[in-house]
Amino acid sequence: MKRKVLIALTALVVGLLGAILFQSNQAHQERDSRDTWEIRTEIREKQEIQESLLQQIREAEQRLDEYQHQNNQEQVELLKESVETLRKRAGLTEVQGEGIKITIEPIMADSDRVQKYPEIPPELLQRLFNELNTYGAKDIAIENERIIQTSPIRDVNGQTYVNNRPIPAVPVEIFVLAEDARELIEYMEVSKVNDYFAVENLGINYQLDFHITLPAYQQRIDFEYIRSAETEEGGN
Amino acid sequence: MWLTLLFLIIGVVLGLLTDIRIPELYASYLAVAVLAAFDTLIGGIRSHLEEKFDEQIFVTGFFTNISLAALLVFVGVQLGIDLYLAAVFAFGIRLFQNIAMIRRILLERFRYKRMKKN
Repeated sequence: MKRKVLIALTALVVGLLGAILFQSNQAHQERDSRDTWEIRTEIREKQEIQESLLQQIREAEQRLDEYQHQNNQEQVELLKESVETLRKRAGLTEVQGEGIKITIEPIMADSDRVQKYPEIPPELLQRLFNELNTYGAKDIAIENERIIQTSPIRDVNGQTYVNNRPIPAVPVEIFVLAEDARELIEYMEVSKVNDYFAVENLGINYQLDFHITLPAYQQRIDFEYIRSAETEEGGN
Repeated sequence: MWLTLLFLIIGVVLGLLTDIRIPELYASYLAVAVLAAFDTLIGGIRSHLEEKFDEQIFVTGFFTNISLAALLVFVGVQLGIDLYLAAVFAFGIRLFQNIAMIRRILLERFRYKRMKKN
């Protein structure tokens, strides 16, 4: 009798362990742990995307309508206008407006150690541009190089190249057009980017400027490697 | 025999009802442990049917098998070798052998009873 109970108890343990193993191996269901606020923000984001998409559709439809209801002459005019707008958006024209002037200067510390004349590493420049774009910059140019969607910023043999041309030694000037330049300056002045530049012995100086002219992008835009994005996200 | 089956079912039900889950990291330990326990159980049933059952052997076998299997998994994880496969292999073969023996014994008993009737 005792041995039967012993075997039965072992069976109990085996069953228990097996059941636990089975449960553990079941795919863990992803729990939705977002709170109301997070969901609300997400809804808001999606709504904004929807709005902007609707707006784009409306604009396109309007344009189409105009094309259809006009005679040849006007159609050509309108097409030219569209092309001009697109060229402007792509950065192929000179643009003027309100913005900020950023000067990157070397910081010469008063120390006994030998100091190297600082250079701007491409990563920092990329970060700076990203930051500018995040806070509402419309168009950016560094010295005479206009930054467009496909502008490469990279290291070539230890030198920083923008648009396949080397940028001159510091001090370097960057021109930025913005909808609200004052706000952009305020954001940029407290940005972490300043600290990162300071590590490299570079100081950034922001200056409001109401009449800034950005040069046009002068090279050919190479579309060879550009493909349409296949993301669900809309926007510009 | 029926008691064993009943307890097995009770164990499974208990395990499912308690909703215990172990981290994925330890799943392989538990898998080998379950296999070892199952092997001991089948071995016990076989020796019981063969009238060779020894409680001490059974109990010590249960614990040493489980710990050895877990140790093997542990060493395997540390060395980056899938050593638990060795445990799975060994227990798997023994499981089949024992079940085959149990089947034979039960079959023989069944035949014996039938012969007696006739």
